[in-house]
Amino acid sequence: MRVPLSWLRDYVDIQQTPEQLAERLTLLGMEVQGVDQWGSDWRNVVVGELLTVEKHPFADRLHITTVNVGSGETLHIVCGANNIAPGQRVPVALPGAVLPGDRRIERTEKMGIASEGMLCSGDELKITTDAEGILILPPATRLGVQLSDLYGDVVLDVDVKPNRGDALCLIGLAREVAAATGAVARWPEIVVAETGGPVAQRLKVEVREPELCTRFVGRWITGASIGPSPDTIQMRLQAAGMRPVSNVVDASNYVMLELGKPTHTFDGAAVHDGTIVVRLAQAGERLETLDHVERDLSPDTLIIADTRGPIGIAGVMGGAESEITGATTEIAIESAIFDPVSIRRTGHRYALRSEASLRFEKGQEFRLARLGADRVAQLTLAWAGGSVAAGRVDTATTEPTEARLAFRPRRISKLLGAEISTADQRALLRRVGVETEAAETGARIQVAVEPKPLVVDAGDEETFLAVVPTWRRDLAVEADVAEEVARVRGYETTPAHLPDTVMPAYRPSPLRARNMVRETLAGAGLSEVVTHALVSPMEQARLLWPADDSEPRLPASLAADLEDEIAVTNPLSAQHSVLRRNMAGSLLDVLSLNERQGRSDVAIFEVGKVYGRVQGQPREWVRLGFLLSGSAEPASWNRAARQFDLDDAKGLVELLCRRLGLPQPAYAPDGRGFPFHPGRALLARQEAGRETVVGRVAELHPDVLAEWDVRSQRVVAAEIAIAGLDVATPSSVHVEPIPRFPEAERDLAVIVDRECPAADVEAAIIRHGGGLLRTIRLFDLYRGAPLAASEKSLAYRLVFGAKDRTLTEGEVDEAVADVRRGLEGDLRARLRS
Amino acid sequence: MDFETLSGDLHKLKTRALAEIDQTTDPGALDQLEIQYLGKKGEITAVLRGIGALPAEDRPRFGALANDVGVAVKAALAERGVALRAAAQAERLGSEKVDVTLPGRSVPRGTLHAIPETIEAIAEVFGQFGFVVYEGPEVEDDLTNFQMLNIAPDHPARDLWDTLYVDIPGHLLRTHTSPGQIRVMRSTKPPIRALLPGRCFRYEAVDASHGFEFFQVEGLMVDEGTSMADLKGLLDEFAHALFGPRRTRFRPGYYPFTEPSVAFDVECIVCGGVGCPACSKSGWMTILGAGMVHPVVLQYGGIDPEKYQGFAFGMGVERISNLRHSVPDLRYYLENDLRFLEQFR
Ligand SMILES: [Zn+2]
Repeated sequence: MRVPLSWLRDYVDIQQTPEQLAERLTLLGMEVQGVDQWGSDWRNVVVGELLTVEKHPFADRLHITTVNVGSGETLHIVCGANNIAPGQRVPVALPGAVLPGDRRIERTEKMGIASEGMLCSGDELKITTDAEGILILPPATRLGVQLSDLYGDVVLDVDVKPNRGDALCLIGLAREVAAATGAVARWPEIVVAETGGPVAQRLKVEVREPELCTRFVGRWITGASIGPSPDTIQMRLQAAGMRPVSNVVDASNYVMLELGKPTHTFDGAAVHDGTIVVRLAQAGERLETLDHVERDLSPDTLIIADTRGPIGIAGVMGGAESEITGATTEIAIESAIFDPVSIRRTGHRYALRSEASLRFEKGQEFRLARLGADRVAQLTLAWAGGSVAAGRVDTATTEPTEARLAFRPRRISKLLGAEISTADQRALLRRVGVETEAAETGARIQVAVEPKPLVVDAGDEETFLAVVPTWRRDLAVEADVAEEVARVRGYETTPAHLPDTVMPAYRPSPLRARNMVRETLAGAGLSEVVTHALVSPMEQARLLWPADDSEPRLPASLAADLEDEIAVTNPLSAQHSVLRRNMAGSLLDVLSLNERQGRSDVAIFEVGKVYGRVQGQPREWVRLGFLLSGSAEPASWNRAARQFDLDDAKGLVELLCRRLGLPQPAYAPDGRGFPFHPGRALLARQEAGRETVVGRVAELHPDVLAEWDVRSQRVVAAEIAIAGLDVATPSSVHVEPIPRFPEAERDLAVIVDRECPAADVEAAIIRHGGGLLRTIRLFDLYRGAPLAASEKSLAYRLVFGAKDRTLTEGEVDEAVADVRRGLEGDLRARLRS
Repeated sequence: MDFETLSGDLHKLKTRALAEIDQTTDPGALDQLEIQYLGKKGEITAVLRGIGALPAEDRPRFGALANDVGVAVKAALAERGVALRAAAQAERLGSEKVDVTLPGRSVPRGTLHAIPETIEAIAEVFGQFGFVVYEGPEVEDDLTNFQMLNIAPDHPARDLWDTLYVDIPGHLLRTHTSPGQIRVMRSTKPPIRALLPGRCFRYEAVDASHGFEFFQVEGLMVDEGTSMADLKGLLDEFAHALFGPRRTRFRPGYYPFTEPSVAFDVECIVCGGVGCPACSKSGWMTILGAGMVHPVVLQYGGIDPEKYQGFAFGMGVERISNLRHSVPDLRYYLENDLRFLEQFR
């Protein structure tokens, strides 16, 4: 809310500088987000007196004026306005002046006559909306004074929190200033001179929905004349960020800013039969609102109607037909209390949220209905004349008294962690208008209200009753009283103390395993990325990363089916409208972006979530995705370049398994083709039953790369589920004793069919190796002469050993012979030694 | 044979041997010379064999002389050997000279992203004070995200959280990490010290300081006497850990799920508190929101608000990271331009 200080001073005395006041209000919870100098964009605009006004010899619509700006010299200024006459005081933009919008005024020539500056309209200065005439200043205004000194103001931009609707007005903020500085807030004098006949002869009000409209106060004015409101009022409204419209509409807006009470004024002649009905809309009813949009009213909309039909949407916007116009003379004033929830829903439904509806949504003090109606009538009378009908139409004249809220001073001290005496607490509360009185023993303490109420018995603990001012609808439970005590005392006085109570039970961090993965991959040269979880539905379709039933499932990581995507129902854009099912698409986006920036070597990873639904419920899984493109080792003076390939990706998976203390995965080819290279894709997993790592590692199909406009010819991507990434599962290494007896090594060259997977050979060696086989390692892969074209040779080093003895040559030979026979039998392998 | 003749031969032999050793440049030739003179069939050995032909009284004298010659030749061989090896080593080392000013062989080193790293930095500080990490779901239900946090469906404060809804009835993308408070309270009993990092979503157009996806870290502490002073003490430690010894302050804030609510300010890290554009001339920067857990929220968490009280705080990870690393634009984080990422080496 924008608060012009000159206006605020009407309701409270302010001794502080604007900056000091801003800080005090901020520390009281009314955060001042800006201190603006209103009028700082009028530079070199001074008060002048018109000496002469004559017709321009060559242009009918122009005048030549002479102006005294107090400096002794007389300026000659050409002016196009018609409302000027000698003797008037007017704002004069001198040559070199700057007006709002950074408009610069220089000495010019207009139709052959030199003009030494410009006379300004209210609109040019942005202090009134009058663009036709020159702004005429009061006759006593001192000559030569800078306009900014005269009308400049300081405007505080105050962020009033949603629970403090009562402070969304000048009176409310004056009360806060009073609490902060010890000054006294004063109300304007609200007195209505009623000279007309009884209001009942003019206006009848029928509220058919008393739940949604708890009070309706109406007043009637006859014989008003519509025109602009006084310049000073227009200036105030402009400074507060509200556009002046007409004296009657301005009166309504002025009261909203002053008292926080939204009201509405109707052209009385358009209120058929002088009857206002507050009811729900009926099916098929329509209304053209003030913004000249014809709206279909839905049946749960609370409307203001006359005997013919709707004339306004209650609390949100009036109808165009009953709008105040220049011809209006009869004015019906509506000052009502509407149900906040109903107003909020209506505002959302019609995408119409006004300054008025924002205030209704936060709830209204009940007596404001009466005060608002009176104040609007008073100001309308003052600015537009006419006569006010006697009395008000009021559907609920009984105004509630203050509520009592019990609190325990000791409890408040305990919550705040500071000993604040009962007397101090009571004194602090008094500063925000909350009187206190002693409660009887056994008072009921409201600890919580709806939706989860809790009332407890205070027992014999010292208890007081806070007398809650009627405007403080936010004070409902004991903790609210604590906040009032704390904020008036000053949050900045809160003592700092480190907790010295019992620690919670140990819990391993779910971040631990993830951090190990992150550190390991960064150590291996990959850069971590964090990408959007919301992606385009197209991206999923373009990639079709397999997640079907053939994929083995981790206990904590069920693969969801593709149709089980979760979509946003109100997305900001289609680009980000579904939750991603896989990470590869996001990684390709990053690759594509960086390629466009001229980066060809991209090695990235992300530990993040993928999303889906299982049996209708949302599920999330933590996944590792990585992508390698370009050079693993860029060309350097001491090393040739090496491109990333599938083996780099597998090596990373193996490294991670070692790092996490998990068994090494086995690889199975995946020949499905798109989105993978049909000959360079695999499923990595551990043997069934002990799966802790499951994932796909693949070179991407060229068509996928084309979809993403990726230049690189070979991109390897992997997406891996790792047990322990979702939840912390502490794992530890179990040490085998260091072998006391020497081990024996044997090399074995296995010649198999070219298509025979190495994983099968390795599995067969392990299967037939017996208990003495410790490790095997592939150290050579050979194709070519003297082997047949259909053959390849895999050379393994086998290490044998026993815990309790040195193996004899014979034992080792026998074990190797077993392996040999096994390979020959299972794989029809030939062996070379 | 007489003594004079034999010793003369010996002397000549010695002179020749020493001369040859001295002229040798090849370490292998030294071995040959050793065999030639001192070997079993060597020339000096052969002269020594002639000792039997000498009169008995001359033999000790000749023996001593021959021994001296043998020692001298041996010494010369050793000395020459050392010299030759030293020369050879010096020559090899000399030939191995490289341009040491060339760059090294690069070892690949990736980078870690600022968001998880900032979460880690926050978790590290609070971890020292016993806060353990929990995680809540990102696709959250409306009840937990709003209603259990004391934000009724038509609460005006809902405007503070523009929400993205999903096609699962009653569910949305969580607008903050605060629903984690409810989940922690329901899964464990006091004493509670919990930290909840994670991704959040809002219906918000993207610009330099807004995004529809962002990260938060929520904190929750509940115990019998946990007070606002405990909150201040911990947040001071946190601010000092991340931003150095700066002044801090509490001021009133507003959240429906805390009462009293707090905004926590740190002396501007740009201007040090005198006022600058970065702090809107106030000298302070707000780094997080906090407050004492509202009794309604405690009750929804299954905790008796008459017995227990606690505090909660929540901070934007990007905000903390921006301040620590002077990141000028929020979009940097999810865009992943390597020119940004690689600055975090
Ligand atoms: Zn600053």
